Amino acid sequence: MAKWTAEEKSIDKATQEMIRKAERDGVETVWDRLEKQQPQCGYGQLGICCKNCMQGPCRIDPFGDGPKKGVCGADADTIVARTLERMIAAGAAAHSDHGRHVVLALHEALEHGAPYPIKDEKKLKAVAKKLGIGIENRDIKEIAKDLVNVAFNDFGKQDEELIKFADSYANEKRKATWEKAGVEPRNIDREVVEAMHRTHMGVDHDPASLILHGIRTSLGDGWGGSLIATEFQDILFGTPQINRGEANLGVIKEDYVNIVIHGHEPVLSEKIIEAAQDDELVELAKKYGAKGINTVGMCCTGLEVLMRHGTPIAGNYLQQEMAIVTGAVEAMVVDVQCIMPSLVDVAKCYHTKIIDTSHIATFPGALHIKFDERRADEIAKEIVKTAVENFPNRNKQLMQIPKYKSEAVGGFSVEAILDALGDSLKPLEDAIISGKIRGVVGIVGCNNAKVKHNYNHITLTNELIKNNILIIGTGCWATACAEYGIFLPEYAKNAGDSLREVCETLGIPPALNMGSCVDCSRMLVLADLIARDLNVDISDLPLAGSATEAMTEKAVSIGTYFVASGIFTHLGTVPPVLGSKKVVDILTKAAFDVVGGAFFIEPDPVKAAKVLADYIEDKRKALGI
Amino acid sequence: MKTVMVFPERCIGCKHCEIACAVEHSKSKDLFAMFSEDILSKPRIHVEEGEDLLTFPNRCRHCNPAPCIEVCPTGAIKRDDETGSVIVEYGKCIACGMCAIACPFGIISFGKTYEIVIDRDVNVKCDNCIERQKEGKEPACVEACKTGTLVFGDANDLIKLKRQSVTRNITSSPDAKEEPVIPENIVLWRELNKKYSHASKY
Ligand code: SF4
Ligand code: SF4
Ligand code: SF4
Ligand code: SF4
Repeated sequence: MAKWTAEEKSIDKATQEMIRKAERDGVETVWDRLEKQQPQCGYGQLGICCKNCMQGPCRIDPFGDGPKKGVCGADADTIVARTLERMIAAGAAAHSDHGRHVVLALHEALEHGAPYPIKDEKKLKAVAKKLGIGIENRDIKEIAKDLVNVAFNDFGKQDEELIKFADSYANEKRKATWEKAGVEPRNIDREVVEAMHRTHMGVDHDPASLILHGIRTSLGDGWGGSLIATEFQDILFGTPQINRGEANLGVIKEDYVNIVIHGHEPVLSEKIIEAAQDDELVELAKKYGAKGINTVGMCCTGLEVLMRHGTPIAGNYLQQEMAIVTGAVEAMVVDVQCIMPSLVDVAKCYHTKIIDTSHIATFPGALHIKFDERRADEIAKEIVKTAVENFPNRNKQLMQIPKYKSEAVGGFSVEAILDALGDSLKPLEDAIISGKIRGVVGIVGCNNAKVKHNYNHITLTNELIKNNILIIGTGCWATACAEYGIFLPEYAKNAGDSLREVCETLGIPPALNMGSCVDCSRMLVLADLIARDLNVDISDLPLAGSATEAMTEKAVSIGTYFVASGIFTHLGTVPPVLGSKKVVDILTKAAFDVVGGAFFIEPDPVKAAKVLADYIEDKRKALGI
Repeated sequence: MKTVMVFPERCIGCKHCEIACAVEHSKSKDLFAMFSEDILSKPRIHVEEGEDLLTFPNRCRHCNPAPCIEVCPTGAIKRDDETGSVIVEYGKCIACGMCAIACPFGIISFGKTYEIVIDRDVNVKCDNCIERQKEGKEPACVEACKTGTLVFGDANDLIKLKRQSVTRNITSSPDAKEEPVIPENIVLWRELNKKYSHASKY
């Protein structure tokens, strides 16, 4: 059979080089495993297998000859809708639990002296004000305590009212849409629990009502859990400001102790970065013959620290194994989400230590150094020391670091955008109204081994900027763009003439890095502010979304809350829904009537760009601009 | 002679082979696109339940001489000399069902295929994935089967595998610790299934 080449697996030169090295070193990677899985189960891909009770698993015959119902009588529509609802619930749970951890860190700092000082008092006051918490003549700590309580309450209150964060951040028009559709999230955790309840055997069977609850659950993520994560992280670690950093495997340095921090929660990674600057540990590294300690990021953790400190980022999801294959990584420190358990096996071929740190994520075969907020500094130092002491174990013969890396301008929090534009979004809005910027597309998340690494991200971005559409985005998309040089202001030369002019005037790239996947909330906040200024609903704006290499359940939740926020959203990979025409119709058509947004699925990024651009033009026409 | 050998003791009844077969014989050869095609491609391998909830993936054995070829009145069934496959020339098939009567394994089914324009059912049996074989690939069902139930290769080599396990069994001393061919948990699962299936008969 024809070999699946490195060039077909990734468009990125550094990754291709490491794929070839992995082959030479006899290391199994994500692509080898995908190949062994082919062809994947058709029932699973179509979403028509139900395992929700022990009378199952039940499968619906997609050919129409065999069973049309599960043992209990559930048909394909019910089974597909339930499967989708559970995916949304899992995604919302992951984001929101992350959000909770940040609130807990602040709580620990306030109540028990955990070493997390409030870095951004301005943001703290701004968030408090938005939530209606008094800030005049009050002690910062008191304000912070009230804020923590509001957040805790959104995770735990039992009334039927909309959660406070969504209520305070979303505009009236959007909230009215949610109220009418009955999809206002009442409690971030409760919606996840109710999703599990509804999808239990013998409860909710109507695809429409299941999907509506999916929407409600996802809104608890986007305008709840994720938003809380972003806001509290900004308060604790600083709101990102426009800065420069470097991206790709080339940021790993030959003569340094290399620590890759990988996962999602900055509560840990911020401390590792501090510890890696500790004089004693740097001295120790020198004693072992290294020039110093080089901490680099990976996946969303990487984006968090890139956004806040300009810390170099070594790669996105499909590059995590590749980083170890360089043979130059002393330790990869992981917490939660998107971390391949295979890292432990890859690391066995080199000297790299995989260190798991989260109490909820243990990797068999890894070194377990579990994190505890109250002892954060001490534990971070222990982790860094472990990495430093591993430096002498490097095998020089197995070391090969790709040269490729690119500079990237990032740090576009909503606050940073406002700062850059002179405390108002008016310049951006004027450019949209005048048509210099036709519209804005938010691209999010993920690589997926089924898609040529970064190909969809880069192609879709290029196609859209050519059409004078400004791109904002987060997650693995952002890392892909950073690696490709798209986040450089000079990349604007590849944009359409009028977008180019706007970018050159403002000195910004044609695509803006807004952060990690929980930072998709920043995009919602931006969309909301524009909608308020123009006095329309978000669904009236020339906006669209895309998850073009979608992989995780989190991406399903993000896509759903985008749609539920009134945003037409493209998926470049196919979620397990095609087994039910009814579910597909609800997601791609009926959703427009209910929440003003809907999904569309198109694996070809060039074709997808055309649909998104046409949609934006239609929206402009409807607005009369 | 290359053949698809079946090791039925390994089949878990997942029907993955069935779907892969249907995809392979669809116009688009794509799972997602397949269901919107005018003519829905259907599996040519049949995983059906036998005794004790056990399953057997039944497909054309590409016999030689082939009873179906012998009885077909229009000469619609032919042998491909290169691969030894027994294949149907759809246009010539008159759907008389003689082949199905003659086939000792009952694997022939009638249906429509995008490959001919006529609007009637014809013998759409397993074609041994002849197109894939000519590209150097194994049949779709074999590629899909993740349990090693369907294995493609030289017939005698595969039979030898079976023979070796028999020889091992016969010669191993009763107290020697045997390498299990079927993992213990699967054996347990089968035993429980057997109990289930008997219990439900009362
Ligand atoms: S809930 Fe219904 S469809 Fe699902 S496994 Fe149980 S019986 Fe089957
Ligand atoms: S259809 Fe039946 S008789 Fe004909 S070759 Fe196949 S197994 Fe043999
Ligand atoms: S060999 Fe090909 S045609 Fe025959 S059963 Fe297998 S997949 Fe189907
Ligand atoms: S794919 Fe293999 S295990 Fe599954 S039903 Fe077919 S033959 Fe049996």
